[in-house]
Amino acid sequence: MDLLANLALGLATAATAQNLFYCFVGVFLGTFIGVLPGVGPLAAVAMLLPVSFYLPPETALVMLAGVYYGAEYGGSIASILLNIPGTPSASVTCLDGYPMAQQGRAGVALFSTAIASMFGAMFGVVVMVLLAPKLAEFALLFQPAEYFSVMVLGLVAASVVSSSGAVRGLMMVCLGILLGTVGVDVNSGETRFTGGIQELRDGVSLVVVAMGLFGISEVMVSLRGATQSYAGAGLTGRLLPTRSEWQRSFMPAIRGSTVGSFFGTLPGTGQTVASFVGYALEKRVNRNRAEFGKGAIEGVVVPESANNAAAQTAFIPTLTLGIPGSTTMALMLGALMIHGITPGPRLIAEHPDLFWGLVVSFVFGNIFLLILNIPLIGIWVRLLRVPHYYLYPTVIVLICVGVFGISNSLTDVWATLTFGVIGYVLRLFRFEPAPMLIGFVLGPMMEEYFRRAMLLSRGDPTVFISRPGSAALLAVAAFLLAATILPWKQWVLQGMSAVRNVGLK
Amino acid sequence: MNRRTLLALSAATFTAVAMPALAQSDWPERPVRILVSFPPGGSSDLVARLLSEKLSASLGAQFVVENKPGAAGTVAASALQQAEPDGYTLMLSNLTPFSVAPIRFPDTPYDPIADFDHITYVGTVHLGLFAAPIVGATDLASFVEMAKADPGKFEYGSSGVGSWGHIIAEQFQDETGAELFHIPYKGSGPMRLDFMGGVVPMIFDAVPQNLPAVEDGTAIPLAVSAPERIASLPDVPTFVESGYDIVAENWLGVSAPAGVPAEIKAKLDAALLDAMEMQDVQAQFDSWGLIRKPKTSAEFSTYVAEQLTQWTPLVEAVSK
Repeated sequence: MDLLANLALGLATAATAQNLFYCFVGVFLGTFIGVLPGVGPLAAVAMLLPVSFYLPPETALVMLAGVYYGAEYGGSIASILLNIPGTPSASVTCLDGYPMAQQGRAGVALFSTAIASMFGAMFGVVVMVLLAPKLAEFALLFQPAEYFSVMVLGLVAASVVSSSGAVRGLMMVCLGILLGTVGVDVNSGETRFTGGIQELRDGVSLVVVAMGLFGISEVMVSLRGATQSYAGAGLTGRLLPTRSEWQRSFMPAIRGSTVGSFFGTLPGTGQTVASFVGYALEKRVNRNRAEFGKGAIEGVVVPESANNAAAQTAFIPTLTLGIPGSTTMALMLGALMIHGITPGPRLIAEHPDLFWGLVVSFVFGNIFLLILNIPLIGIWVRLLRVPHYYLYPTVIVLICVGVFGISNSLTDVWATLTFGVIGYVLRLFRFEPAPMLIGFVLGPMMEEYFRRAMLLSRGDPTVFISRPGSAALLAVAAFLLAATILPWKQWVLQGMSAVRNVGLK
Repeated sequence: MNRRTLLALSAATFTAVAMPALAQSDWPERPVRILVSFPPGGSSDLVARLLSEKLSASLGAQFVVENKPGAAGTVAASALQQAEPDGYTLMLSNLTPFSVAPIRFPDTPYDPIADFDHITYVGTVHLGLFAAPIVGATDLASFVEMAKADPGKFEYGSSGVGSWGHIIAEQFQDETGAELFHIPYKGSGPMRLDFMGGVVPMIFDAVPQNLPAVEDGTAIPLAVSAPERIASLPDVPTFVESGYDIVAENWLGVSAPAGVPAEIKAKLDAALLDAMEMQDVQAQFDSWGLIRKPKTSAEFSTYVAEQLTQWTPLVEAVSK
């Protein structure tokens, strides 16, 4: 069988001592880089790129990929313990992870994120092994109209992410969308809302917004003493989830991984969208949805399985089409170009050892990550014992260093601090940053694809319903919206009592 | 001659010989920054990293690549302009911030010629016009005929409004009289994705990254923007030989803020030329599709000025 032969080839490549070693180096670095707020996989991969000059191409790729998905494991740790996401895609994990830590369940939260991350990643790998070529074709079937409709679905789902009411949530989503309009307009090339600042021509960076709104503002809130110290509670907690927590997590993990695998294959969307949409959809379908935002275990399992699955499947378009879905992916393709391999549609056929070796290394890498992360939980939890007057200045320094490292721009550092103040003021008035972030991520993409679809149809809006894929997605979005707005429950109850009354008569 | 005279003499000779050498070898005595106007990972970034590695080895100080992407490369160029002209801040200069952006954005805070010393020419990447197989065009003439017969029917993708692909596409329409429909993208990646998915049937894009698709048969090259045919696509005609006056070169070079001491420039130029003569560097350049016909430092300076003159009317036509 082809598949077995391919996997055998991959195993032969990945299981060499050298590749295992560099795989471990990659995931080890990745997980630590992920823990540090602001310092993301992009910076780490960029720093390691020169090292890869001296490695064979498959080894270089195995290592850099390890940094990339390893960071998704680490990203949730600061989210849970400090309410500060280590990577933008771990922002959602704050929503339930931090309340869990406050309740003294930090150990359980960290343990279940490690397991969920592993589960999501393995799910993504299986999807990749079975469907890689098919999924690449599927990604190509997704045209601007479908992209627009999937963004609509995401935004509709996102309006429930806020736990302080749908209206406040929607207001924040809109604010995020407005913020996303800053920069050069794709279609006309005109600059919008930049105030003449050259650095704003490309818009505000996601890391700047995420680290400001979540990270800096959290430090300010805790300085004010608004959050209770819970260091004692966090330390005593157990590690292993209870039997009921395991049971509650299983289906959400599968749903999260599915959503994550889907968004990973769409170039340009990535882990942040995956984790947000996964969480939002779960909040729709889960029986325990009332607990979401108050420390529900599903609230950490879903986003973590989603962003890790997306981190794996993001390699599908990158490697099968040779088109990077993100800057970090572009760097990894750069590592191949250094070795004279120009990634393109024939990459898998021409370099099967490279592709399958990488896929098998994902399995090893994720096992390493689990082995690394479980024993570290105890150490991370003890981090809470570090006095705040040491911890918080360190966090601010790390965020500033991380943000500066991405574009070497002091303007970005000031922008992050500004968003910290904005986030603090919003939180004083009980507006949450999470819906704003998702509006900021999805809004500009939605606009871009909407206008491109309209250009391609020469201004005919029926393109969104005449294409079956787009129509189906819009129908699901409409259904979700109707389910939120209309008082179905009341109607059903009324109907049932009416039937009962008739029966009685 | 007694021993003391001998000592004094040899000391004098040594000093005489060593003095000019010392003046030159002062630089570089601390790390040198090479600004790159792209995020890490692209081929220009790789060129900078490769060269900085070779320079670090040959000149004995670290050459550090610093990515300052943004605003069509003008963020990096502005930073270069504001840096001290002491040879410790350089930039991998290219077409967009020096030949296009200053005309497109009148508020660009620098003069692309007067404010900089353009020191060493590195190489050039050319633009190609590619068609999807479904278009049914096999050569430039047949496509021009099809496009003329159906004005506005064929969409083409560019990597953005005001990108070189867009500018050359406008020039192409002027020259041929064909009318195409512009679909702008945010960069080349998303554009090539839609090209492969059949969303846009034509693209104006840099040649090297499309070579795998050409081999695969999913992209059909109709013409290239080089002055003469290029080695990687020997069967593809240039626009010029097809009778259209279209030449577009995305040049790369090494530039510094104006006023760098002459001996530092000479030393840097020599080291860069040595590096680019190395076989592994040439092999890399070839695989990235970077075409290099050596120019002297003075020729490169003139070349940058000529490029600005050549692009000015084209950019103005698009910016209206």
